[in-house]
Amino acid sequence: MITVKNVSHAFRIGKKGKEKKIDVLKDIDFKVNDGEIVSIVGKSGSGKSTFLHMLASFMKPDRGEIHVNGVEIASFNEVKSAKFRLENFGFIFQNFQLMPGLNTFENIELPLKLQGMDQAKRKEKVERMMKEIGLDHVADHYPNELSGGQQQRVSIARALITDPPIILADEPTGSLDSETEQDVLLLIQTLNRKRGISFVMITHDDEVARIADRVYTMHDGYLTEGAAQYAI
Amino acid sequence: MQFKDQVDFVRQHIKKNKMRVFMTVLAATMGTAFLIVLASVGFGLHDTLRKEALEYGLVTEITVYEKEENTLPEAYVDEFRDIEHVRAVIQERTLATDAILSLDDFESSASFNISDFEEKKKIGFELEEGRLPEAPHEVVVGYHFAETLQKQVDDEAVQYDKELVGKTIQIGMLNHAGEEVGKPLEMTIVGRSKAPTKEWVQDMSFYADATIIPEIEKILTKEVGEDQPIFYSNIAVHADQLENVSAISSAIKDQGFYTYSVVDELEQLDVFFLALKAGLVFVGTIAILIASIGIFNTMTMAVTERTREIGVMKSLGASPKLIQRLFIMESAWIGIIGTAIAVIISYGISALSNYLLPIIVTSALGEEEIGEFNITFSHIPWQLIVIASIISIGVAIISGWRPARKATKIDVIQALRQEL
Repeated sequence: MITVKNVSHAFRIGKKGKEKKIDVLKDIDFKVNDGEIVSIVGKSGSGKSTFLHMLASFMKPDRGEIHVNGVEIASFNEVKSAKFRLENFGFIFQNFQLMPGLNTFENIELPLKLQGMDQAKRKEKVERMMKEIGLDHVADHYPNELSGGQQQRVSIARALITDPPIILADEPTGSLDSETEQDVLLLIQTLNRKRGISFVMITHDDEVARIADRVYTMHDGYLTEGAAQYAI
Repeated sequence: MQFKDQVDFVRQHIKKNKMRVFMTVLAATMGTAFLIVLASVGFGLHDTLRKEALEYGLVTEITVYEKEENTLPEAYVDEFRDIEHVRAVIQERTLATDAILSLDDFESSASFNISDFEEKKKIGFELEEGRLPEAPHEVVVGYHFAETLQKQVDDEAVQYDKELVGKTIQIGMLNHAGEEVGKPLEMTIVGRSKAPTKEWVQDMSFYADATIIPEIEKILTKEVGEDQPIFYSNIAVHADQLENVSAISSAIKDQGFYTYSVVDELEQLDVFFLALKAGLVFVGTIAILIASIGIFNTMTMAVTERTREIGVMKSLGASPKLIQRLFIMESAWIGIIGTAIAVIISYGISALSNYLLPIIVTSALGEEEIGEFNITFSHIPWQLIVIASIISIGVAIISGWRPARKATKIDVIQALRQEL
């Protein structure tokens, strides 16, 4: 499903000519199989979010290859990246990233609009999704009228609505209390089992990492499989 | 994203910033209305002068004048007739000296003309009653000729009010000193021309056939001298259609004559007003350009405010082209609404100015007749609306283009890090 080979990346900071190079990702190899939940753990600043942005094609690595369903995406231009994201990825963000001017229904509907789907089909699909995730009673609520857990559910529903094979989650429970966190994790596990969707989750939380089939640890730009070296 | 969804998206964002968008639309409206109203003055005056030129002359008529001495146009009448698309060439002669026309006790000082009725028929000359002259002493009078026949009764002028056709009229020839010479000619009125199509035109003419010329020359040659003209001649060439007037006019000029036609006048008028209208549109465009600064500002603020939303859209898979299109649509919407309102306002101002101007002029000059002048001060043709709309909406789109480009360049990661 996702295969990453020898990916390296460095940030350049400072004025041109006096730039300082900071290596953030170093020779990374990574793999996600169909229907797997893979968790990447590591300290803040270890490079795990940067790596997730690479997978999402928000940025390009200096070196290496990223294959998703057999397609090499590291060389894509912006237009191709956007199209690929729309068809293959769902995103769950730590701070939900909902559109403040859209209600629950409209937020979940947004990716379908971007895909150009007919209004009638969209309505049917979004209503079914809201029922499944348990959001049908807050369909016309705006994000500022929802609790943190509800907002994250909306974010998850929005990620799932296009039936993507892969969901990339950046600290999905980072803004939630422990009770809501359990709810969201249970939902992720259920969706994974019922729909066979692969999840790549960035977290620094043991509880979150515990639901993963495999755990990778990011440390100083190096990614290693297993939680043995995991230390926050 | 379907077009309808894109429109919905734009509409939602406009709703969120009603006041700011309203002020920007207002600026666009004012700029566009200024352009339309300003240019409409050019269109209005052009229209008025065109109408005037068309009302005071036959549009297919070309009057020919001699350019050099000894090249009198009357000698070239047959050549003019041979020019392609010429319908008729009418040579009319007016007596160079005065003549007194008497009928019973009534007298008229109407000018004595000699015309070519066969040619006049070709351009639609028709009679109200009677027939055309067939013998040398037969004449046709204009529809209003009777009004020129008057006599004095108790120091008051009385107008002739009886039948004219069939009556014999006496023509007394006068020399340059105003003395009657020779024996008066007796002529019979055989026809009266139809009323002119324009109500305000008075046809008081008195037309004889060319066969009378030798008799008149016999009477007047000795009196006026051999080197003096007995008649003033006027040559009018008539084209079959308006669009052939220019070509015929050129052909006559090539033969060494001056020409005048309403079309020549209209062409000069059109060139002048084209330049004037272009100038007015240019000045009006400056107002729209000033309004465009507001649109640019509004759109730049919209992009800055929505950076995080743009980031979310991009992260979900919105293409840069879509993002750009949404913002350009928003600025175009400002232009379209501004233009639509401006068009309505402009028509209102135009109608009001056309209504008020004669009243203001009348009260300022204190002459009631001024108000009766048919002046179109402001006229808004559909072409002006099209030009103004293209300029206004075009400028709005261009103003929104740079902020829209800026939106496409927003970095997703940076945008997602922004706080709400």
